[in-house]
Amino acid sequence: MEDVITDLPPPSRFFLDDLNNFAPPPTTLPSPFLVFSTPKPNKPLCPSLLIFALSSPSLNFLHHLPSKVLIGTLVLPEIPFSGISLEPSLTDKSCNIYSINNAGKMIIIVSVQYAVAAERTHAVAKMLIGKHIIPERVLILDSLQSRNFRGKLPPDETFALKLETSMERKLPEDDPEESQLLKSVGYFPSGSVVDGLAAALLSRCEMEKLKGTLSVSWPESGGSVTSLVRSLLLKDVLPGLELSIKSDDEDKYMRSGVLDLDIYT
Amino acid sequence: MEFISEDGKTLDQQCSTLVLPALSIGNVGQLGVDLLISSTRAQRIGYLDDPNVLPCVGNDAYTPSLKPQLALSLEAYDSSSNSLTFVQQRSPVVKGMMLEYAKNLADFAAANGKKHVVVLSSLDFGRWQTIDMSSGLQIYYLSSANMDGTDDDCERLGWKRLQEYNPAQRRWKYLDDLAEGKMVQEDTSTFEDDMQDEDYLPSLPFAAMFSCFKAKGLKVTCLLCYCSEGDNMPDSFQLAEAASKLVGLRDTDIQGNEGGKWTIPFSWQSVYGPPADMSIF
Repeated sequence: MEDVITDLPPPSRFFLDDLNNFAPPPTTLPSPFLVFSTPKPNKPLCPSLLIFALSSPSLNFLHHLPSKVLIGTLVLPEIPFSGISLEPSLTDKSCNIYSINNAGKMIIIVSVQYAVAAERTHAVAKMLIGKHIIPERVLILDSLQSRNFRGKLPPDETFALKLETSMERKLPEDDPEESQLLKSVGYFPSGSVVDGLAAALLSRCEMEKLKGTLSVSWPESGGSVTSLVRSLLLKDVLPGLELSIKSDDEDKYMRSGVLDLDIYT
Repeated sequence: MEFISEDGKTLDQQCSTLVLPALSIGNVGQLGVDLLISSTRAQRIGYLDDPNVLPCVGNDAYTPSLKPQLALSLEAYDSSSNSLTFVQQRSPVVKGMMLEYAKNLADFAAANGKKHVVVLSSLDFGRWQTIDMSSGLQIYYLSSANMDGTDDDCERLGWKRLQEYNPAQRRWKYLDDLAEGKMVQEDTSTFEDDMQDEDYLPSLPFAAMFSCFKAKGLKVTCLLCYCSEGDNMPDSFQLAEAASKLVGLRDTDIQGNEGGKWTIPFSWQSVYGPPADMSIF
């Protein structure tokens, strides 16, 4: 049971220090930067779709895509490299960038496997969207944050909700050539918010006037939500994608829980 | 801070008054601005991109819609018929960057033709020095109109100047110097250690905004009410009412719903979370 005296206040309330004009500013950190496996391209990458995997189910599913190619990584100087394996692993604290070809179109996938501090998300989002990578469309997959959600969260239900940029919202629903992503997913209710890196990325999309969708799924982990995310991706986002996951890998990722990456460093 | 306009929209340079919240106990300033935006039918003109404000996104805070529009953490609205611009802030400022944020806001206001800035905020009831039970729901103010913080318009409206304001007090002086970009030698690390009662008000966000807007030569009026954490909607009505009087809104300029004077934003339906689970009974 929550201790109302000592537990953190809900995010809409402040500690005194949060409001203090004279609180010391955060330590200045070096900017995040991208490293690509091929020499730095002269032009930015322009994928038809840029997918950000932030949630456990999406990280699991996209990690097991057999046809993706590692093309780069985002380095956050404050995240140590210790414990990172030679081959990409779900337990690494990394933010790898992959490319995949689907029906002749380039899709870039960014697997964010570490927590980005709130005050760093603005810089990270600016690095990933609009500078070196200029996508036609963006999809962000995150988990619903119960602390920011004002609706009911039944523990035994699985669902996903979405937020869209203006450019995405303007698209027709039934145009076979170009229509909204995740048509079957309902809208996030008014009064609740999403913060963190997912919010920074979607905000960046809105400001850059890109088509962008943020989908948050509930619960954070488990077989049912992993199945839901997989189904949404295969049906609405990556139709026709050849998917061959080894049966023992499939069992592993369907049963996967929350990745506690801190214990691996 | 960069202003990004929505397609086909520009900031109305004729909107010479800017109304915005300063973060505070109970989020009263933000709730007040919500009421003003929804009730004056102000139109969103664009967003403010500032690295000092933490990002957040949500769906349309004001009206229900089948295809709701995205809401970001810092948005600008114009009510051209009332010559008002609103800036709404939905998320916190990075700790330690409040002054930087206030400076950016002041630059934005000055660059976009604002002449008068109205800052809505609240103060902690627990810090109320002089309890005056006869004053009821008293509005307090701080104005740049005079050196001592007084303003004839505010006095005429029956508001009380913030008595504790003293521009010569060390922290107010320090804020003013920082806002004006002066080199200051005082070691701020001592501020944390020996904070006294008189240091409380200048440490609050509204004070940073007051100093920064003043430093830009803009007229600034801070409207404040005392409150506690809890259901702060009544406080926000009081503050919005005060702001509407100060900026000269007539009753016909404000549209209400549900039989009231104000239009309650759609997002307020869930501001205190979902209703209790009745199945337990």
